[in-house]
Amino acid sequence: MKNSQRFAKVAIVPVLIACSAFASGENAAPDKSASATGGKKEYRFKVSRHASVTIDNQYGPILVKAGADKEVVVTALTNSDKVEIDEGKSGNRVGMTSHLLAGADSNSGRVEYEVLVPVDANVTLRSTSGQLHVERLRGDIQLESSSDIDVRDISSGHVHIKTLNGPVTLTNVRDGHIEITSVSGDVVLNSVNGPLVQVNSNSGKIRYDGDFGGGGDYNLTSHSGDIEATAPSYASIDVTARSEQGKVENDFSLHPKHTTFLMKAGSAFAGTMGEAASSVKLFSFSGKIHLKKR
Amino acid sequence: MTCVEFERFLPEIIEQENLTDKQAHLKECSSCSTLVSDLRVISHEARLLQESDEPNPRVWNRIEIALRQEGLIRDAHTESTRQLESPSRWRLAWLVPAMAALLLSIGFLKHQRDSNTAQSPSVQPNEPATVAAVSDDSPRFKDEELLQEVSLRSPAMRNSYGTDLENVNAYIRDAETAARSNPNDEAAQRYVINAYEQKAMLYEMALDRPLQ
Repeated sequence: MKNSQRFAKVAIVPVLIACSAFASGENAAPDKSASATGGKKEYRFKVSRHASVTIDNQYGPILVKAGADKEVVVTALTNSDKVEIDEGKSGNRVGMTSHLLAGADSNSGRVEYEVLVPVDANVTLRSTSGQLHVERLRGDIQLESSSDIDVRDISSGHVHIKTLNGPVTLTNVRDGHIEITSVSGDVVLNSVNGPLVQVNSNSGKIRYDGDFGGGGDYNLTSHSGDIEATAPSYASIDVTARSEQGKVENDFSLHPKHTTFLMKAGSAFAGTMGEAASSVKLFSFSGKIHLKKR
Repeated sequence: MTCVEFERFLPEIIEQENLTDKQAHLKECSSCSTLVSDLRVISHEARLLQESDEPNPRVWNRIEIALRQEGLIRDAHTESTRQLESPSRWRLAWLVPAMAALLLSIGFLKHQRDSNTAQSPSVQPNEPATVAAVSDDSPRFKDEELLQEVSLRSPAMRNSYGTDLENVNAYIRDAETAARSNPNDEAAQRYVINAYEQKAMLYEMALDRPLQ
């Protein structure tokens, strides 16, 4: 009897310790936390699946990569005390804004962000003049900037990009629903495919290098920017290319197809290759168009 | 009464339901009837957007800039309970979708009117494009006003926005010319939509900049 009581007392100790550790662990993991060293601040937010992360930064770059599953970690390096970081979390939505104070300019108002998000997070980044870089994610991505935009190793997400002057580069984006609008920035797509790949450019050039895979709609349109598309000989496409005032060139031997417009030699071509799984439309008002064989 | 004559009275017709002498043409002409119906819807929706009786956004900008310079609204932002977006941005936020919707509606209407004009046997091809009258008066923010906004918000970006606006307006002109000469052409339709989408983006990005 004495032995059994002693055993019960001994046995209950680790149980109590475990309960206490579990409880303190719950309390020790707040929803968000922040720490600062000099002008560098780190923010941590607990999130669940498909979290939304939005960052507005007028001056300075934003780099976003895949990190831990249920945590968003933001490191912000401010250039001066003329800019503050406004941060907040609401439900599964995290927002960070660089808040410029009176007298801030492009140098003193600059903030550099490095962000780690869960791989399935939906990310929205806005900047006036800072570079935006996003890689290795599977969620939806919306980017707005007048500076460089670089997106790589993305799969199964929507990628919506708006830029005025900055060049846009997409590399290795699979099964994407991609919409890019650019005024004068060049757009470069390397190994990009999906059900919709749409580029709307004004004077910026459009360069596509890929296989036009995925049975998708590829619509590359410009006002005066040249369009250059490079594809392998095995590409399966139904292609139409037209330039109202520019020249068109085609390296492929296409099966002729019916078109609803009058085809003028040197300014339009249309036809199919393989099973014509993907639709490719290359339209420019006055830019040159070249469909190149890899 | 021809479609061209009818369109001269469009503003009065949209505002007033009973203009008996114009009703006869409306009953006969399905394209004018559709146009009037669409414009009434847009006019009605635009009124709803303005229901808050907000003053011009520039008034808010100037007030906010003045308050910041005085250091009067800094304290509110340094409180621990910060908001995801500043209130001033919310005040202006309704302008962004409104402007985008308005620009796209105008683009669509213009394109539709271009198509109708080209197809209608009662209109001569060399007559002035009546749709131009719709666009000249409709956008709430003209380009010059937008550039003033940009000068206030991001002075360094003003020249860049000016160049971009010129490029986009050139695109719109070319696209509309192409659509007018060949209204059923897929590429021409795409140019019109894309050109107006670019203009909507310019307005959206200009108005969405945080204030200094």
